[in-house]
Amino acid sequence: MTKKAAKAVSMLLSIIVFITVLAACGSNNNNGGSNSGATNAPKETEGTTTEETGEKPGIDTSKKVELQFYMLGDAPKDIASIQEQVNKMALEDLNATVKFNYTSWTDWDQKYKLLLGSGQQVDLIFTAEWTQYQSYAKKGAFQPLDEILPVAAPTLNSYVPADMWEAVKIDGKIFTVPATYKEYVTNGFVWREDLREKYNLPKPVDVATFEQYLEGIKKNEPTMTPLSMNSDVKTNLMDVYKSIAHTPIGALPYGIEVDYKTPSDVTSYWGSDAQKEDLVTMKRWQDNGYMVKNVLAVKDTLQDQVTSGRAAALLGDNPTRFNDMVIKIQATHPDWKLGYHPFPLTNGIATPVHPIHNGFAIPASSKNAERALAFYEKMVTDKRYNLLTQYGVEGKNYEIKDGYYSMIGDSNSNGFAREGMNGWAWRNPEYMLFDKNYDGVKAIFDELDKIQTPDKFTGFAEDYTAYQAERAALEQVEKQYLFPLNAGLVKNVEDGLATFMEKANQAGLEKIQAEYTKQWLAYVADQGIK
Amino acid sequence: MLKKNGLLKELVTNRLLFLMLLPALIFFLINSYVPMVGVYYAFTRFDFNTSLFNSQFVGLDNFKFLWQSGVLARLTLNTIGYNIVFILLGNVLAIALAILLSELRLQWFKKLTQSIMFLPYFVSFVILSVIVYNIFNYESGFLNSTLKSFGMESVDVYNTPWVWIFLIIIFYLWKNIGYSMVIYLASITGISEEYYEAAKIDGANIFQRIWYITVPMLKTTFVMLLLFALGSIMKGQFDLFYQLIGNNGVLYNTTDILDTYVYRSLKVTFDIGMSTAAGLYQSLFGFVLIMTVNYIIKKINDEYALF
Amino acid sequence: MKIKDDSYMKWFRLIAFVVILGATVLCLFPFLLIISASFTQNDAIIKDGYHLIPTVFSFEGYATVFRFPKQVLTAYGVTTMTTIIGTTLGLFFMTMAGYVLQRKDFKYRNFFAFMIYFTTLFGGGLVPWYILITKYLKLTDKLEVLILPGLMTPFLIILMKNFIRSAVPDEVIESAKIDGANDFTIYSRIVLQLSMPGIATVGLFLALHYWNDWFTSSLFINDTTKYQLQYYLYNVINAMSFVAQMGSGTGVSLGDMPTESTKMAMSVIVTGPILFLYPFVQRYFVKGLTIGAVKG
Repeated sequence: MTKKAAKAVSMLLSIIVFITVLAACGSNNNNGGSNSGATNAPKETEGTTTEETGEKPGIDTSKKVELQFYMLGDAPKDIASIQEQVNKMALEDLNATVKFNYTSWTDWDQKYKLLLGSGQQVDLIFTAEWTQYQSYAKKGAFQPLDEILPVAAPTLNSYVPADMWEAVKIDGKIFTVPATYKEYVTNGFVWREDLREKYNLPKPVDVATFEQYLEGIKKNEPTMTPLSMNSDVKTNLMDVYKSIAHTPIGALPYGIEVDYKTPSDVTSYWGSDAQKEDLVTMKRWQDNGYMVKNVLAVKDTLQDQVTSGRAAALLGDNPTRFNDMVIKIQATHPDWKLGYHPFPLTNGIATPVHPIHNGFAIPASSKNAERALAFYEKMVTDKRYNLLTQYGVEGKNYEIKDGYYSMIGDSNSNGFAREGMNGWAWRNPEYMLFDKNYDGVKAIFDELDKIQTPDKFTGFAEDYTAYQAERAALEQVEKQYLFPLNAGLVKNVEDGLATFMEKANQAGLEKIQAEYTKQWLAYVADQGIK
Repeated sequence: MLKKNGLLKELVTNRLLFLMLLPALIFFLINSYVPMVGVYYAFTRFDFNTSLFNSQFVGLDNFKFLWQSGVLARLTLNTIGYNIVFILLGNVLAIALAILLSELRLQWFKKLTQSIMFLPYFVSFVILSVIVYNIFNYESGFLNSTLKSFGMESVDVYNTPWVWIFLIIIFYLWKNIGYSMVIYLASITGISEEYYEAAKIDGANIFQRIWYITVPMLKTTFVMLLLFALGSIMKGQFDLFYQLIGNNGVLYNTTDILDTYVYRSLKVTFDIGMSTAAGLYQSLFGFVLIMTVNYIIKKINDEYALF
Repeated sequence: MKIKDDSYMKWFRLIAFVVILGATVLCLFPFLLIISASFTQNDAIIKDGYHLIPTVFSFEGYATVFRFPKQVLTAYGVTTMTTIIGTTLGLFFMTMAGYVLQRKDFKYRNFFAFMIYFTTLFGGGLVPWYILITKYLKLTDKLEVLILPGLMTPFLIILMKNFIRSAVPDEVIESAKIDGANDFTIYSRIVLQLSMPGIATVGLFLALHYWNDWFTSSLFINDTTKYQLQYYLYNVINAMSFVAQMGSGTGVSLGDMPTESTKMAMSVIVTGPILFLYPFVQRYFVKGLTIGAVKG
């Protein structure tokens, strides 16, 4: 067999080599023509019929193009007719048509990576800090926009404030068009106000009062779980807890801690006394039964647990989602009440979302960068485009009542709900329409506006090339040894923490922290963050 | 020269057979062999602005994360251990059930039970994990409610790693037994009735007939399933482990396999180079194993070998 | 002799009956839970867990799945069509390949079998395959993409090869050859008929594979009218659990949907077809049916 097998293997290998060579030639061919249209200065003569529709773009629109537009989530049902109407306008204005593609939420992060990594044509794609905008930009997945912005989208260029352009820069270059709408996604305590009143419990404003509330619920409502929590105890428990118990500048990775007030002081939270103290608190919460014992296996959403009546409080949620819960409870349990206390009112850190939070970028694979940008300008600044793609057709999908947005029919019959295209990034505050229900959120925003402080963290782009092996290994160690500690399940906190630190150091924690600190300090110094 | 003549001659004499095999060959050439160039990703640093072959060559850097945390040996052992149990128990049970089922007389009962045993195959692991939680969770689980009503103490299954070795195996069998049973059922159907008639005349009882006729006839099928399972012994059943265990780090020592480790490690970055490297490690392992086993099988009986 | 056999037989049948019944109950029980949960109000599931009888009866899970009935029906249609076409084509190619690979007089059968098997061991990963299909084959948003990549699997080909091997004696092929039949005639006239249980099995597996596929849609289909059923349903669920995955920092607000009951309703809906398909396949699992048919 050995001879035969060896022959078979060598034959296979030669086939592979042959194919490899073929493929290599193929992909080399694709390499050259990445961006060419840049030098073709304003020479627009063809599309003369568009003259009367206002300013003409300073780009060559002689060749008709189809733009591939990618957004996350699911497309609204009426997307085809909306696309048709947008295309009618875009064809006239820019000699371009657009195809709105949606990734759906199924495996969206994997698809996002494939869209950018496979080199297929994508002209516009959504970006946010939670889609790893900073890393992708740093690795060269997007085209820099600095030069083409004034040419292709002058209105947009001046419409977005200069400090916002500045804020989204990665390594000194603009890679995304930020949304200008100001909102807050800061956390706040959520609790059952009706139960609080019934048992005369303190109003949660900080960790101590929140814990008293939990204790009161445990004593008086034995069948209820005081705290709604699920298996993601890092994001939903520790990060939120830290943001009210301490004053971190952001949810930094790798156990690094930077205080909001002193950005250039970097310490390690992991292994510190502060962490030990926090973990002891978590263990107390677990031992007292504030969280379910098997919290690491819970998959229900935090909100569902509260709105169904199983749990009595949420450690933290943002104003918008708190409002969603209020609306739901009004419909299902009108006798219940929910209370909310934003963390910023306690710790003074009221940071509106960073401009990176919602944006659109032009991937490196796009051959129509200018047209794409010009089209995006229309989406944001042209009222016709904007209203159509945010709210659908007036009179068919929505109507305006007393200045409020009002959906026609219900979500089953209406094929385009409010912001049905997930158009968070091209919101234009001047044209925005709000549901009456949203007034509650606006009131909270107004309150936060009074004490507004800048986001000092999100603009930082980490480059983990130097320690990506350590980073991947650490990810595992964190889940295995730190998650049980976070959930308060380890009997001896001190020993548990020591084990975690030992394993983390084995995985290369020190190297990661040192490198991250170096990059962070350089960023702080460079941006003059104080 | 001589070789070429051989191939050419074969091509001419069996041209029809070649033609019939051609669709399959083309399919695998395009769908499987062409993308194999991607193996090279494992040795490069991924770059958005250049093609695969112009990317920076980084040697074995992408493999580093596998042993960085010092868990590679444990993961490998876990993965192989579970798979061996899956293979052995899965096949033995499937064969046993298939034989029992094939000997039943009540036609409607036979058909109904067969269909029902296939049902679990359609229950996704997402849903299975929900049901498992419902049975075993500490506060309100079915198990503990029952224990409590008998005045017994609650058990904390989700914080007891060793229990999960059994639970994982049980749920694997529960979900897959119907599927592999069908394969054996079909094989049993293919056995000629004449053998049984002859055995009956010779005075063999039902157990002897099963042991001396049915079981040996299933050997080919078993060996084939075995070889396929061995080739992917480092992979597989990701969903089972990921959904049932998820974020519960308490259980990782006994329930973490290579696939779940790689998934968790690379979830945020999705590094193409590193995930390809992990896949290559799994492949090489399976490759070496399968070549050895196939060689041994071929030595024993050429009939059973896969190739 | 006969009497002895019968007494054994009685015991054996009894044991078989009990064991099979036990296994069936084990398989059925969780499924009953799922059916019950699919008819339970979502809040009640989250609050009280699962029960064999719905605590608060409700259709809301099904209502959510069928919120846009036309989309569901379209997806059903797409899946049914791809399943039928894919299974038919795939079976045709795979039975041919399996037949050729088991022919002892086919000199390179081991080499080709190895070539096919080898693809289960090594793969280039997702990215190059994705590039191949989108960039070189340009199959994005085409219905072909839902059929072609799943047409054959090495496992099913080798399985087919084994089934044919054991179902078709070499002598039958030899004598047909002497009668002057060519290889394709032998395949279509004799082999196919003799290996019906095998074909039914492989066909069932292939059909299930197509029926359960959501991944291909997920990667290559943007056009909602070409979604496969499973992908459509997955999206309903994933849109809901997106809130759970992401921290509060995203600020994405999603409508109110009954997560758990919808999941369960979906599970019931996708299982439906097995109730139709499986009995059809079972017809071929009756002993001694096939050989006689050909010989007679």
